[in-house]
Amino acid sequence: MTTVQSPQTAETTAANRQVVSSEILPEELHPSSRIDATDVTCWFGKRKVLERCTLSMEPGEVTALIGPSGCGKSTFLRSLNRMHELVPVAAIAGTIELDGVDIYSEEMSPTEVRSRIGMVFQKPNPFPAMSIADNVLAGLSLSGMSNEDPKALVEQCLRRAGLWAEVSDRLNEGGMSLSGGQQQRLCIARALAVHPDVLLMDEPCSALDPISTRVIEQTIRELCEEITIVIVTHNMQQAQRVSDKCAFFLVESIGDPGRIVEAGPTTQVFENPSDPRTYDYVTGQFG
Amino acid sequence: MLERLFAEHRLQLEVDVHMSLLDERPVDETPVPEPQDPELIEEQVPFRPRALVRSERIEILLAAAAGVTGSGVMCLLFDWTHVLTFAIWALLIFLVSIYLLARDSQSPIVATDRLITTLVWTSGGIAVAVLAWMLGYVVVKGIAGLNYEYLTSDMSKVGPLDDGGGVFHALVGTLEQMLIASVLSIPIAILTAVYLHEIRGRLAGIVRFVIDAMSGLPSIVAGLFIYTVWVLQGRGPSGLAAGLALAILMIPTVTRTAEEMLKTIDDGLRESALALGAPQWRSVMQVVLPTARSGLITASILGVARAVGETAPVLLTAFGSSSINWSPFNGPQADLPLYIYQLLRQPNPAQIARAWSGALVLVLLVLILFVLARVIGERGARVRGGSR
Repeated sequence: MTTVQSPQTAETTAANRQVVSSEILPEELHPSSRIDATDVTCWFGKRKVLERCTLSMEPGEVTALIGPSGCGKSTFLRSLNRMHELVPVAAIAGTIELDGVDIYSEEMSPTEVRSRIGMVFQKPNPFPAMSIADNVLAGLSLSGMSNEDPKALVEQCLRRAGLWAEVSDRLNEGGMSLSGGQQQRLCIARALAVHPDVLLMDEPCSALDPISTRVIEQTIRELCEEITIVIVTHNMQQAQRVSDKCAFFLVESIGDPGRIVEAGPTTQVFENPSDPRTYDYVTGQFG
Repeated sequence: MLERLFAEHRLQLEVDVHMSLLDERPVDETPVPEPQDPELIEEQVPFRPRALVRSERIEILLAAAAGVTGSGVMCLLFDWTHVLTFAIWALLIFLVSIYLLARDSQSPIVATDRLITTLVWTSGGIAVAVLAWMLGYVVVKGIAGLNYEYLTSDMSKVGPLDDGGGVFHALVGTLEQMLIASVLSIPIAILTAVYLHEIRGRLAGIVRFVIDAMSGLPSIVAGLFIYTVWVLQGRGPSGLAAGLALAILMIPTVTRTAEEMLKTIDDGLRESALALGAPQWRSVMQVVLPTARSGLITASILGVARAVGETAPVLLTAFGSSSINWSPFNGPQADLPLYIYQLLRQPNPAQIARAWSGALVLVLLVLILFVLARVIGERGARVRGGSR
């Protein structure tokens, strides 16, 4: 159990949360998207790291990918927005469909895929050469979009990421002046600014303290009403707290590729898993 | 069994006794911590713990004394007069004494550690001392002739034995040639570094090899190259030709340093930019290069510093001149190293004094460029509020 919930923090964050009322959320919310991965296999050079993974990530749900280190969760996540192919020797097979369109087909460019499927990384990494406000807006200029009211967008994204109250008076300071947890929420705000349909999160809380973790988990729960979220986590409690659906990845023996052992509603995976290996993992008897 | 009962009973008794004692204790006897007057609390004085204890410091002083006296005695005995001879022997005796003293008082391991620490310190000290000596020499020799007239006049009307004359034409030449060389080489060099480290194209290995080979290119070869393909092709000597030759010399230095600077940028930043839907060129332009900005400025300064002191290529391409030539595109032009070189070779104390003043101007110019570039880099970082 890594999250300590002090009543005081819960109250303050709840107070912060109340500021986030519906009127600042954009009116033209695009409907949530779904991702269907079918028989996804990934290679690095000759080494197969992931084999025939099939998983549907439903609109408006949080899907958690769990499993021991090195089982291919992150590779799977990175294949969902074409970050996998950034490694020069990486290769992939299978199909990944975003609302029925294969993201690896000729119809979609990698930049389009990535601006529709955002990503938050394990290590908070705001752009050091930019202010807090510029960090939030970075995605717009980086992907060539424009916005007629950047100020409002900055506020809206920071509010949705639960950071507005802490930084509203110092938007022009550097992003690196924030604490680790604040930096990670800034990265979430940055990812939200390009209005992604899906948000991928690769262990977003593993470098953070319990209080920051709690704030980010609340943010995830609120965002999932509009955005489909896929999160990789090593924290079983976190998976239970934030996810609706869970997929358990496992490498059976050394040298094998990772496979999805079991996927289903989170309550079922944790309380009544159908596979004994899942049971062992979620009850902490292994890994 | 009985024993245990007994023991329990005793324990109970003892507890009872204690309880009764507690009950009887008068309440007002409990010590109440008196509130301390804040002015009476002593101010804490911070101190740095010392790395060496007193005996060790005395050993180092002893070794230094041994070095100075030993070397002094040797100088007297063998009639050595040069100050460097004295310094070198003093240093050697000092190092040996440091080692022997520490070995006798503590252990060979401590002695080796002490010896290597001292060597590292003295190496750094020697580097600084040589630089300071050299700079001091230039200042002492050059300061006398450095005045407003020297900075603002050229040598066109100065006869071999006349007073007056100055460095203005060479200063203008250096500034113009460095500007041309920088404008030509720095963008190419930084883009090459981007190719090597960001694009990592198929030719990266070959390009890196060529760049490495170029950095070993003797400067006179660069001068000869431009002399052959430019000056001799009917274009004649000019500041532009010198700028071209200097640019060839600057490209490898700036490229390799800039590549090292790009290597220090966290890959996470590149991935984040791409994950936001950025094409690679925008990720490089808006994230990577601004983050590496102060490093890239350093790379450019190193390139300028490499080229600004070159004499040979300028001799072959700009030829030098004793009068002011504002146009870098037409006709021979002087620059500072060439000015120094040409004046120093003349058998005339006045000309040699002018050369020393020219050397001082060159050193000051490099210093000013260096500080300027640093200030620009730092101010950029502060405006954007970076905390690093």
